[in-house]
Amino acid sequence: MAAIGTSEGVQRMLADMREGVLQGRVPARIFNDQEIFDLERDKLFSTAWCFLAHESEIPKNGDYVVRYIANNSIIVVRDEHGNLTASLNMCRHRGNMMCKSEMGNASHFRCSYHGWVYKNSGELIGVPYFKEGYEGKLDRKQWGLVKVRIDTYAGLIFGTLDPDAPSLDEYLGGFQFYLDIYLKQGAGGSEVHGPPDHWVAETDWKICAENFSGDGYHTPVAHQFGFHLGYFPSSGATHSEGWAVHIPDKGHSIGLGHTPGMPPFFGYPDQLVEQMRASLSPEQMEVFSKTRTAVGSVFPNLSFLIQPFSLVPGEPGVRFCTMRLWHPIGPGRMEMWSWCLVPKDASDEYKEEAYKAYTLAFGQAGTFEQDDFENWTRVTRAAGSTAVRGVEFPYVMGLDRPRLDDFPGPGYAVSPYVTDTNFRNLWSTWLDYLTREV
Amino acid sequence: MDDENTAAAGAQLEASALPNEIPLDGGVDGPILIANEFADVVVSRVLTRNGMRLDIWSPRRGTRVQLDAVELDCLSYQEPETFTEMLARKPGG
Repeated sequence: MAAIGTSEGVQRMLADMREGVLQGRVPARIFNDQEIFDLERDKLFSTAWCFLAHESEIPKNGDYVVRYIANNSIIVVRDEHGNLTASLNMCRHRGNMMCKSEMGNASHFRCSYHGWVYKNSGELIGVPYFKEGYEGKLDRKQWGLVKVRIDTYAGLIFGTLDPDAPSLDEYLGGFQFYLDIYLKQGAGGSEVHGPPDHWVAETDWKICAENFSGDGYHTPVAHQFGFHLGYFPSSGATHSEGWAVHIPDKGHSIGLGHTPGMPPFFGYPDQLVEQMRASLSPEQMEVFSKTRTAVGSVFPNLSFLIQPFSLVPGEPGVRFCTMRLWHPIGPGRMEMWSWCLVPKDASDEYKEEAYKAYTLAFGQAGTFEQDDFENWTRVTRAAGSTAVRGVEFPYVMGLDRPRLDDFPGPGYAVSPYVTDTNFRNLWSTWLDYLTREV
Repeated sequence: MDDENTAAAGAQLEASALPNEIPLDGGVDGPILIANEFADVVVSRVLTRNGMRLDIWSPRRGTRVQLDAVELDCLSYQEPETFTEMLARKPGG
């Protein structure tokens, strides 16, 4: 369905939203609406850099995973020469899906319809009845798989459908400083621990992306059992403490929650902290050492979280890292990918402990995950109901809060951690995409 | 002296190029199934009266080839493009 039929009502809502976001108002309707979904597909996901995979998911030649940008299925593969490449998951002959498995290893892909064979890097090389049927006249060079532009940062593979998009480096716009807390854990960096958890949720992707742009406000309430039982090393009395940082006009945000008195890098093995001292800048060490929770998002729909979590209530927490992709598949509906990232150079024992802490809190059966999706699904349902279509939500928290002048990292930083500042930037960036000509 | 040194260096290089032990992952008896979403083959060792071959059987296609050590050795140093050329010549639709 094309977005050419955007109604006057939605156009007016988006026009009003420009001023509304500055004043701290966001319309509920954007969280569950067919027209908004169509606009996001055609104007946002068709031009932004979107996360596809982590390099450690395809470590060996021939390893591939199938991922999506909007409704486009994409094969991400390490070819026979070790190079990363991505192609639309579609045979050029009649459009059949090439790879049906979500992951696998193959030097060549063979279409299950008429049998065209491609190198895993996308070149068409084998055509049944080439002489008899095509009389040798088909130019195989013209009919390779359709390439998708990709680039990487610290193991993350991003793709864009826009050949004119700025570089990934420019797109990230300094947010790399904060991504390093997740991606450069220890000297060898981070790697995925096992395959991702993957499920469908009746939730709008933006609710999740907003939450992971630094919503420390919900934590003591939505996840109160974690505080009360002693899984989570924070207290409702001091939970607002910390920083919220965003990259203006880029949409990337992070919340950095603090717990007074918590030792630096609490929950990491000492050896790992020593390695990070060598691989991270002094400014990064200053920001990260104080951080209990780092919850951040790369616009539009890739998020991360690091925090200590106790495997046994009351015992010292183990620091774990999750990476998640909120992939829209319909208005108010999404596919969820959730990974556990571990430091590549850490001991197997620590990796297992961190993975246990991750599964206790996140993934389908994770306690925090269930708390969140319960709420997010209800928000989505409300946003799609008829009487709510004209209702707005308040985003006024921290509206007049001054920028921190002495903050050591890039971007726009404020304190405390509990604020809507990051979200207003998220929504104004989202609005930039949805209202511009493509 | 120079010749001796060269010979010693050569022997050292040869030894370091060898694996420390024969990889036995997956067992040695077979048959072994090698499959992905595009093809599946059954691989097994076949003893002849005077030696052995590796049997590669494609159950879906019904085709079979039995390769001796020289042919397998030859496969071990081919470029990936060699296999691409083989598939281009006979894509096996």
